[in-house]
Amino acid sequence: MSTAPPAPPAPLEVQEPEVEEVVVTDRPWLVIVWNDPVNLMSYVVFVFQKLFGYSRERATRLMLQVHHEGKAIVSDGNREKAEADVARLHAHGLWATMEHPS
Amino acid sequence: MARRFARRRGGIVDATFERGELELLEGLPEQLRTLYRADDDDPARARLFPRAYLDPTEEQAEAEWRELVHPGLLEARLDALSTLETTIAAAEPTKRDRLVVHLSAEEANAWLSVLNDARLALGSRLGVTDDTDLATVDPSDPDAPTLAAYGWLTYLEGELVDTLLGDMPD
Repeated sequence: MSTAPPAPPAPLEVQEPEVEEVVVTDRPWLVIVWNDPVNLMSYVVFVFQKLFGYSRERATRLMLQVHHEGKAIVSDGNREKAEADVARLHAHGLWATMEHPS
Repeated sequence: MARRFARRRGGIVDATFERGELELLEGLPEQLRTLYRADDDDPARARLFPRAYLDPTEEQAEAEWRELVHPGLLEARLDALSTLETTIAAAEPTKRDRLVVHLSAEEANAWLSVLNDARLALGSRLGVTDDTDLATVDPSDPDAPTLAAYGWLTYLEGELVDTLLGDMPD
């Protein structure tokens, strides 16, 4: 997965860093694409290449994972990046959601 | 028969159609504009504008996300419909009484967006599943004409995707 470094947190007015909370916050959100019966396999490969710059091989592997396993993690990152990736996938008609691993 | 989509210099794609085929495509924008204006509980509209968060405890984040991105998602879709209309309006007749539409790379992507949205909408209305076999449609099925349109759009989108994949790196 292409792991974008988490964006630095906004400046805090009160400097009371709690290490454990920072770890939780920094754990990446996962962007999931779900299988659907309409989107063409070739189209899904095209969208993964266009949006994420993946190679044909990587995009095809992810598409096949969606097809056979019902879903695949296609990108990850902080909440803002995941929200943006989900929006771009929705703009292309893919059924995408985001979740935070617990 | 000539290739449906032919790549030209500079990323231009030429798309060749029979007149009746273009008429079918010309009907898509009005249907999709109506769908985009439909209620959130319309299943076809919900398929085009799905949730970002499945987690019900993220309802506030979901609402904020929708407010942030949905206007842009809708605008991009409406722009794609306009692009389809203007490029079809500029179609040129060929010697064999067909019509050829010249598409820039950006316009070809807009076409792809419209074709895919139309198929998602029709697929939702028709209840298409992984087991739907378009080759064995009963002609007396009241959905037969819609299934035929869905099948043709599927073929067309597949051809366009294959053409555009040619510009993607291996």
